[in-house]
Amino acid sequence: MSALIIFGLLVALMLTGMPISIALGLTVLSFLFTMTDVPIDTVALKLFTGIEKFEIMAIPFFILAGNFLTHGGVARRMINFATSMVGHWHGGLGLAGVIACALFAAVSGSSPATVVAIGSVILPAMVAQGFPRQFGAGVITTSGALGILIPPSIVMVMYAVATSGMQVQGPDGQLVDSASVGELFMAGVVPGLMLAGFLGFTTWYRARKYGYPRLAKANLAQRWTAFREAIWGLLLIVVVIGGIYTGIFTPTEAAAMSAVYAFVVAVFVYKDMKLADVPRVLLSSANMSAMLLYIITNAVLFSFLMTSENIPQTLGNWMVDAGLSWWMFLIIVNLLLLAAGNFMEPSSIVLIMAPILFPVAVRLGIDPVHFGIMIVVNMEVGMCHPPVGLNLYVASGITRMGITELTVAVWPWLLTMLIFLLLVTYVPAISLALPALLGM
Amino acid sequence: AAQDKIIIKFSHVVAPDTPKGKGAAKFEELAEKYTNGAVDVEVYPNSQLYKDKEEMEALQLGAVQMLAPSLAKFGPLGVQAFEVFDLPYIFADYDALHRVTKGEVGQMLFSKLEDKGIKGLAYWDNGFKIMSANSPLHTTDDFLGLKMRIQSSKVLEAEMNALGAVPQVMAFSEVYQALQTGVVDGTENPPSNMYTQKMNEVQTHATVSNHGYLGYAVIVNKQFWDGLPAEVRAGLEQAMAESTDYANSIAREENEKALEAMKAAGTTEFYELTPEELQAWKDALAPVAEEMTDRIGADVIEAVKSASGS
Amino acid sequence: MLRLLDRLEEVLIASLIAAATLLIFLSVTHRYALGLVADGVAFFRSHGFDGLSALAKTSYFGLRSVNLVWAQELTIIMFVWMAKFGAAYGVRTGIHVGIDVVINRLEPAKRKGFVLFGLLAGALFTGTIAALGANFVWHMAHASAISPDLELPMWIVYLAIPLGSALMCFRFLQVALGFLRTGELPHHDHGHVDGLEDGVEEVGEAILHSPLTPRDLTEKDK
Ligand code: NA
Ligand code: NA
Repeated sequence: MSALIIFGLLVALMLTGMPISIALGLTVLSFLFTMTDVPIDTVALKLFTGIEKFEIMAIPFFILAGNFLTHGGVARRMINFATSMVGHWHGGLGLAGVIACALFAAVSGSSPATVVAIGSVILPAMVAQGFPRQFGAGVITTSGALGILIPPSIVMVMYAVATSGMQVQGPDGQLVDSASVGELFMAGVVPGLMLAGFLGFTTWYRARKYGYPRLAKANLAQRWTAFREAIWGLLLIVVVIGGIYTGIFTPTEAAAMSAVYAFVVAVFVYKDMKLADVPRVLLSSANMSAMLLYIITNAVLFSFLMTSENIPQTLGNWMVDAGLSWWMFLIIVNLLLLAAGNFMEPSSIVLIMAPILFPVAVRLGIDPVHFGIMIVVNMEVGMCHPPVGLNLYVASGITRMGITELTVAVWPWLLTMLIFLLLVTYVPAISLALPALLGM
Repeated sequence: AAQDKIIIKFSHVVAPDTPKGKGAAKFEELAEKYTNGAVDVEVYPNSQLYKDKEEMEALQLGAVQMLAPSLAKFGPLGVQAFEVFDLPYIFADYDALHRVTKGEVGQMLFSKLEDKGIKGLAYWDNGFKIMSANSPLHTTDDFLGLKMRIQSSKVLEAEMNALGAVPQVMAFSEVYQALQTGVVDGTENPPSNMYTQKMNEVQTHATVSNHGYLGYAVIVNKQFWDGLPAEVRAGLEQAMAESTDYANSIAREENEKALEAMKAAGTTEFYELTPEELQAWKDALAPVAEEMTDRIGADVIEAVKSASGS
Repeated sequence: MLRLLDRLEEVLIASLIAAATLLIFLSVTHRYALGLVADGVAFFRSHGFDGLSALAKTSYFGLRSVNLVWAQELTIIMFVWMAKFGAAYGVRTGIHVGIDVVINRLEPAKRKGFVLFGLLAGALFTGTIAALGANFVWHMAHASAISPDLELPMWIVYLAIPLGSALMCFRFLQVALGFLRTGELPHHDHGHVDGLEDGVEEVGEAILHSPLTPRDLTEKDK
């Protein structure tokens, strides 16, 4: 009963168009005030302690690093490098776009940022080369989604944060810990490379079918030059992933180090950014981070209300009693998340849904890390289809194409992603093999 | 009727199958029995409702009635006398410890919580800590450059500094991964914590140093407690006394079992200090108490020392 | 006066994010350097260079006397303050996300009503939190709790909640008033904020169309 009231109120408030964070907060306040004896002062306490966690701080650091990289000339050099390697294949620049997106995804934690960074450089070039605009838009909109699957990933941090400290009973009654940021990052590597391969294949196949232009093959010297120019950006991949894996840093520290590194590369090495631009980059990063942290605090408050009303547990009992098996549950989760992706952006979806779905998933025997990767892939798909799809909007801005036209343009790649989603959902080994190999 | 029952929300931050978790469950059972059902205890394990960092404020606000926080939590609350429990080698053994926690000195320390709106009911043991790392720890020279994880505490910081290590503050939940990847080199834990967190899998060496104590205090919101009918309070006190003995005996057993199990697992080499080495550790750590005297209070340290008989 | 407040808000959050980044950078570097020097001590000792070993040991203890144990705690506090005041700045720049697919289908007059309702709801929520937070801080000030590592009084640390929320409430009212007067809402325009010359128009345009950006009602009629 209380679940119905809470969700009814939340949905009603959200549909009025008010910020999601405010809708969450008001739902909690009004419910706590009218229906429970929880002292209302705890709301103020939760609003502070909700983000008082070191792992959450990875989010602002990654955003700052991303902003230095986006306009710091790193993306352009990565594209040149990728083009020199695969430009002569079918789909030339398009294929280079997929690879450049994957490379940039390995230093950036956000998908729209990846679309902006790679798309704004490569899309005009593709049109100039004679590719149809739809083709380029389709490639970049979907490949940009790799930003949250290949580590680092802000959405993975959100999932770890939303389920952090939860210890839930598995099917045999044993306690299962939630997934850590480090585990999720490592688990994202294989699916990320795989999806990049899938998207690259679709690009290659369609380019060959329609006879799109190829570039002249770069010689070894040209490739070496392109590699040397891109090396500062590529080294950041080593700093982030290598740093976490070898234990020099925690994920949060890696994020801070990459922000400092990206600043040095953008301002002093590539010199594409002036020192005078730095305060404005800081301000816009703080703005974006604060918005996400504000959603987190209110989502933590909401999940406190859920727990104190025992809703995840009730839902779990209900599903287990109904005889739901793990694969049926995963279908439901996929449909639910894809539907939510029609209205909300990934951070809010993960923060609201993960704490509720996670205990059920664990009780049905699903691995917390696998479940997290599956959610991330779902979010990727959601970013590429209308009505709300961040990547679509960003790509629409760059290409000046309408959303409807873009939706038609992305379908071959979107279909590829849906097939990949099924694979990731039902083959846990794709996500779990690497962390297991590393002994995590 | 059910709605007339006095509800005690007992929140803690560990799993139900730990000594503290079992103690809480025992209290729930006994409290309901000894008050003839006048009280309904609701146990919330695993930080379900309030996290480690917020539970103390939640208690003071009256959002929960009962907690069992680590003794290290009272320093930040402004009662630094409790930091005496963190001092290295302050208790020779469990008997010495219990002469303090079950005696007047324990009550004297609890009385310092009262103007924070908190009433202390009992001390629950976790156990004596052992030192672990990925290299042998026999002498203080072995600590040089080691990044050792501690929980936030000025005393523990001073302890690691005195040994020559680099103290690193880190949340308990992050320790396993930090040890595994090498972000930190080692840590200190009672054996049961080390074993349940599987830290023996990621530590090659441990020294059974028993150099420090880890314990909890069961506390209630004072206003709530004082407002209870006298016979209910008596029932709860009896329940608490019995569950304290129960929790302490389980804690001790679990530590012994955990140590055996980790030795059997063979991933960690356990080392017993020779009498000379032990004395060297004690000598190296002796300055910690002096350094901390101004914080903790000379009278408190003296009282604990004389009560414990060490 | 208002412009001074705007400036202060911007300088505060930009400095906090920069300071936190530098602090973590320093503490990681410090930790890594300590490890290196300690390795040096062991290396010299095992190769019989006793003088060098002693020298390295001295520098180790010298380096370790720089105590950075509190860095993590201070980073968290700085970020919480950044988050609370940044959220207020975000109202002014229109960055807070809402689901607008439904109200965008309504006729302009009704939509205007919903937008106002949303802004006032924001003011109500943040105003309530400011009051609750002030009450909470007042209690904390009497409890004399301190933060574990830096030993700062907790009530000062928690002051971020009432101050940040009050500012946010003020910003919601400010935006609502502006909307009533002109029918316009603030845009969140990345391109402009990043302040970079080339290719920014396109990027800014892209973000303008993102759902992260509150819709300008006049623009929506197209
Ligand atoms: Na990424
Ligand atoms: Na979508």
